[in-house]
Amino acid sequence: MRGRELRAVAISLGALFAAGPAAAQIDIADEETTAAEVEKAAGDTSSGAAVDPWEGFNRRSFKVYTFLDDNLLVPVAKGYRAVTPAKGRKGIRAFLANAQSPVVLLNDLLQGEFKRAGETTGRFLINSTIGFLGFADPAARMGIPPHTEDFGQTLAVWGVPSGPYLVLPIFGPSSIRDGVGLGVDLVSDPFFHIDHDWAQKVRYSRFAATAIARREPLIEPLDEIEAKSLDYYASLRSFYLQARKREILNGRSDFDDLIDIDEYEEFDEVE
Amino acid sequence: MSKTMTGWTRRAVIALALAAGILSHSEPAHADEAAEAYVRGVLEEANPILDAADKEARFAGIDALFDKHVDIRRVSMFVLGQYARVMTDEQKKEYVPLFGSYAKLVYRDTLSNYSGQHLEVTNSVDRSPRDIIVNSRIVNAKPGDPLANTVVHWRVYRSDDGKQSLFDAGADGVWLAIEQQSQFKSVIANNGGGVKGIDALIADLKEKVGE
Repeated sequence: MRGRELRAVAISLGALFAAGPAAAQIDIADEETTAAEVEKAAGDTSSGAAVDPWEGFNRRSFKVYTFLDDNLLVPVAKGYRAVTPAKGRKGIRAFLANAQSPVVLLNDLLQGEFKRAGETTGRFLINSTIGFLGFADPAARMGIPPHTEDFGQTLAVWGVPSGPYLVLPIFGPSSIRDGVGLGVDLVSDPFFHIDHDWAQKVRYSRFAATAIARREPLIEPLDEIEAKSLDYYASLRSFYLQARKREILNGRSDFDDLIDIDEYEEFDEVE
Repeated sequence: MSKTMTGWTRRAVIALALAAGILSHSEPAHADEAAEAYVRGVLEEANPILDAADKEARFAGIDALFDKHVDIRRVSMFVLGQYARVMTDEQKKEYVPLFGSYAKLVYRDTLSNYSGQHLEVTNSVDRSPRDIIVNSRIVNAKPGDPLANTVVHWRVYRSDDGKQSLFDAGADGVWLAIEQQSQFKSVIANNGGGVKGIDALIADLKEKVGE
């Protein structure tokens, strides 16, 4: 426990010194292969036990998620694609991302990422005005690239471990930490605190619009992955955990904790 | 009270030391010229293939590139994770070429997403003298195109005799062989594990590659 506290402090100090957050951990199973491990492997029926102890629950939840995806989200996303030009969709994505700025800014600040907080503020001011309420992204052309943050990432930077992988019925792949983060992001949205019918409508329509606008460009890539997968659930789990790790590191890749290759060296001698 | 203070001070000192450690380690790891040159060569071969307008020609080109540069036996063992050690010789004979065909299908799709794009080596990081990551970027993507900021990674394996081969490819921190390992281990585990589970994996692979 103490070790964890120390890491959190070390990480926040690191951030203060502008070194950025150090490696937040998501344990993508890096097995130590020992004789005992081999023996265990022979009878092991619980695949990624280390990352996914709740696999049984998650697979059921994944079924609900893919059912809703296949029967609701994808058809709507296809309809949306059919009635909008590509440029319009790009504008809508930009608008929704811009509307998310307050939440991104809050998390930039909570992570001590002051430069990125400045970028978020600058982008919001530029795009909301000369960017036609956020439908265009002149800020990117001025050299301020977009980024996202959420409270799940903030918790990671603070040193909170990801906890088990978790599939949520509507939101899909997540983890305990990211699930909690998702809840916090929902309540830290300014619209959440306006107690009016219109605010509620804005909230729900924005949620639906975001889900559709995000799903639309992924129709073909996810179809391809599903078609080639032997186990779509495990594919998405791996993609999620790998991508999430990089997101938490703010786009830097950490190659140190990739699974080693040379474990298989001994096969050279065998053959 | 004073005990707490001492505890806190000690912790702060250790934390500072850790932070200093993080700072000193934030310098980039060593680049590997030879691996960069190797990937540069592969990309030079790949660029005209990705330009091919005809899908069949593109696929044939990707297959040939794959056969030439990927150490398929090594990758095929890696994606089994701990199960590589329980696979029988007989299973191995059937599995290795089957995995090769499957991986080609995946690479055909994945690389076709970069069709018409030209990749250029940017830098490299050595995990060890035998295991090197070479990064590349898309040169001709328009600003604002999501591909413009995509980093495409190549994992190069260098064998004892210095021969280099491609081991894995990834984009923005997401690697294919690592994803395949997650899938394959899951299939094996969910089909009784061990030799029996591997049989199930082989059957699934056969179905995917249409054998």
